[in-house]
Amino acid sequence: MISNRQRRFAGIFAASAAAALVLAACGSSDSADSGDSGGGDGEACTVKVGVATGQTGGLAYVDVPSLEGFDLWKDEVNAAGGIDGKFQVETIVKDTRSDAAQSATVAAELLGEGISFLITPGDADPSIAAGQLAQEAQVPAMSWFGSAPILPAAVGDFMFSNAFGDNSQARVLADYATEQGYTTAYTLGSPDSAYTSNLPKYFAVAFQDNGGTIVGEGTYTMGQPNFNVIADQIKALNPQPDVIMTPAYEPDFPTFLKSIRGAGINIPVLGTDGIDSPTTLALGPIADGVVYTTAGVLAPEGPQAEYFEKFNAKYGKDPEAIFAVTGYELGLILNAAVTQAQSCDPVAIKDAITNLEGVQGITGKIGFKGGDRMAIREIALIKVVNGQRELIALVAPDPTRVPAA
Amino acid sequence: MDAILTYVVNVISLGGTYALLALGLAVVFSVLRLINFAHGELMTLAGYTLLAGIVLGVPFWAAVIAAVVVGGIAAVIMETTAFRPVRNANPATLLMTSFAVAMLLQVIFQNFISARGQAVPVPSMFTGSIPIGNAQISIIQAISIVASLASLIVLKLFFDRSRWGWAIRAAADDFETVRLMGYRASRLIAVAFLISGLLAGIAGVLWVMQRGSVDPLMGLKPVLAAFVVVVIGGLGSLPGAVIGGYILAGIEIALQTWLPESFIPYRDALTFVLVVVVLSLFPNGLFGKRIAEKV
Repeated sequence: MISNRQRRFAGIFAASAAAALVLAACGSSDSADSGDSGGGDGEACTVKVGVATGQTGGLAYVDVPSLEGFDLWKDEVNAAGGIDGKFQVETIVKDTRSDAAQSATVAAELLGEGISFLITPGDADPSIAAGQLAQEAQVPAMSWFGSAPILPAAVGDFMFSNAFGDNSQARVLADYATEQGYTTAYTLGSPDSAYTSNLPKYFAVAFQDNGGTIVGEGTYTMGQPNFNVIADQIKALNPQPDVIMTPAYEPDFPTFLKSIRGAGINIPVLGTDGIDSPTTLALGPIADGVVYTTAGVLAPEGPQAEYFEKFNAKYGKDPEAIFAVTGYELGLILNAAVTQAQSCDPVAIKDAITNLEGVQGITGKIGFKGGDRMAIREIALIKVVNGQRELIALVAPDPTRVPAA
Repeated sequence: MDAILTYVVNVISLGGTYALLALGLAVVFSVLRLINFAHGELMTLAGYTLLAGIVLGVPFWAAVIAAVVVGGIAAVIMETTAFRPVRNANPATLLMTSFAVAMLLQVIFQNFISARGQAVPVPSMFTGSIPIGNAQISIIQAISIVASLASLIVLKLFFDRSRWGWAIRAAADDFETVRLMGYRASRLIAVAFLISGLLAGIAGVLWVMQRGSVDPLMGLKPVLAAFVVVVIGGLGSLPGAVIGGYILAGIEIALQTWLPESFIPYRDALTFVLVVVVLSLFPNGLFGKRIAEKV
C-alpha cells in the first residue's frame, strides 16, 4: 500500500523526471541527419559540426554572439558550394545552459551523432568537461574563446581554443603598465573560475618580471552584492598602488568600478577581454580611462566594415561584442583546416588545425603551429574614452616572455 | 575605530537589502507556505524597468517608482496566473511551480531583452561619497540604508496599524482562522504577493544601483541569500526575516573584512557553516515556531 508520503515523493520524482526529459530534449539541429561525415581523400562529404554552447546562462554573453558569427560564416560557405567548393557544413546546436555537467551531457549526445568537429563554450571549465569526451572519441574540439591556457593541456591533443592565452594578455597588460610608469599594482581575482583565479597571478609574474611590485591582492566571490569592503581595503593600502588589475567581468566588473569610484578611489584600472562589451562602455564616466586587452576593436568602419554589413543583412543589427567576430573567425579556421585536410575525418582535421598558420581572420592572422593549441593571434589593447573603444596598440607578445601556464 | 564604523555601515547597508528581500519571501510564506523562488526575477524585472525608464528619458525618481510598482503588479499577476491554479496542491507542487516561473522569466529576459547584462547608467549625482568622521560612506550605500530602513518602518506600520497587516500577521499563525473571520483567501494572498512584489522592486532598485548593471540571472544569488535569511530568522516569522538579514550581512562582511587571505576561498563555505551552527542551536530558526505536522 502506498502511503501519502510515498505518493507525494513519487509525484515529485515524476515531475523532476519529466522536467529533466523536457530539458534534455531542448536543443536544435539545423537539419535532420543527412549527409555523410565520413569522407576522405578529397571526396565531397558533409562536415558535421556539433555546437555545445551556452545559449542561456552565465556564458551566453560569449556563446550567443559567437554562434551568430559562426552561423554567418556557415551560410556563406554553404552558399558558395561548401568548404573548398565541396565540403558542405552542417551544425547541430545544443544548449549547455552554461553548466559544466550539462556541457558534458550535450557533448556526449553530439559525439553520438557522428560529428567531425565539436565547438565548446567560451570558458575553460565547461570546455574541459566537454573536451575530455571529444578527446576520448578522437574528435577535435575548439572553445569559442576560452582563454585559460591550461585548457588544451588539461584535455589533450584534440583540444584547441580560438582565444589567445590569459598568460599572453597578462603579459601585454603588464608591459603597458610598465610603459605608463606604474611601479606598484593591486590585483583582484576570484577563485570561482580558472579565468578569474589565474589572470592576476600571470599579471603579477609579468609585472614583477618588469621590476614592478604587487602591493596588495584582493579576492571576491562572483556575483557578490558589492565591493565596498574591497574598496575600503584598497583605500587602507600604504603606499597606494599606481594601478589596479582585475579579470572581473560583468556583472562583477561594473559593481567593482561603482564601489571603488563611489569610495573616491581614482586609481587607473586594467581589465581583460571579459569586459569587452557594451555594458562596460555604457557605464558612463566611471569607466572612462579603463584599459583592457581583447581580440580586436569592434568598429563598423575600417577592416570590419564589410563584416558589419553582412552581419546586419542577416540579423538586422550590429554585432554587439567582439565574440561575434571571433565566432566567424572560428569558421575561417575550420575552413582552412578542412581545405588542408581534404577530408571530413576528425583526426585529419585535428592534424590540419595543429599545423595551421597565418589564417587570415577579420581581426588579424591566426595560427596554431608551434603553439600550445591556444590560438596565436594579436592582442588589442583598448582604452575606454567617452564611452567609446579607442585602440592603443595591437601587440603580438613575445612567447619567451609570456608567463608559464 | 574606523574599521568598526566602516563594518557597521557595510552591514546596515547590505543587511537592509537582505531584510527587504527576505521579508518579501516571508510575507508570501506566511499565507501560502510557499518559498517563492521566482522572487529574484521580480527584482530583475524591476531592474529592467528602471533601465527602460532611464533609456526613455523619464526622470530618475519616476523610473524608480515605476520599477517598484512593476515589481508589485508582476507579483500579483504571478500569483493569479501561476500559483492560484495550484494553490491547494501539496507544498512540493507549489515549490516546483515557483522554480518553473523563475526559469520561464529568465528565458524570457534572455530571449526578448538580451542574454548579456545591460549597464544601468545611474545619474552621476549618486556617484561619490560622504565623510563620516574619518571614514567615508558612498552615496549609494547611504541611499540603500535610508531606503531599506524607511521601507521597514512603513511595513512595520502597515503590519501594526492596518486591517490587512493584522490579517497577514494572523495568517502566519493560523490561516484557516483568518478565513473564518471573513477574510477572502484569494484577496489575502493577492495582498501578500503585492507587498512581496513591492519589496522585491525596492530591493531590485537598490541592488541595481549598487551593481550598475542588470542581467537575466541577476535574481538568482539574492533570492538564495534571502532564503538563507528566512531560514535563519525562522520560516514564517516576519521580525525574524529582518533580523536574519542583518545577521547574514554581519557574517558575510565580517568574513570579507577579517578572514585571513589563505582562508578567503572558503568564505562562502564558512558563511554556511555559521548558518548551520545557528540552525543546530535553533532548529526552527531564531524566531520560528515549531510547526506541528498534521497526521
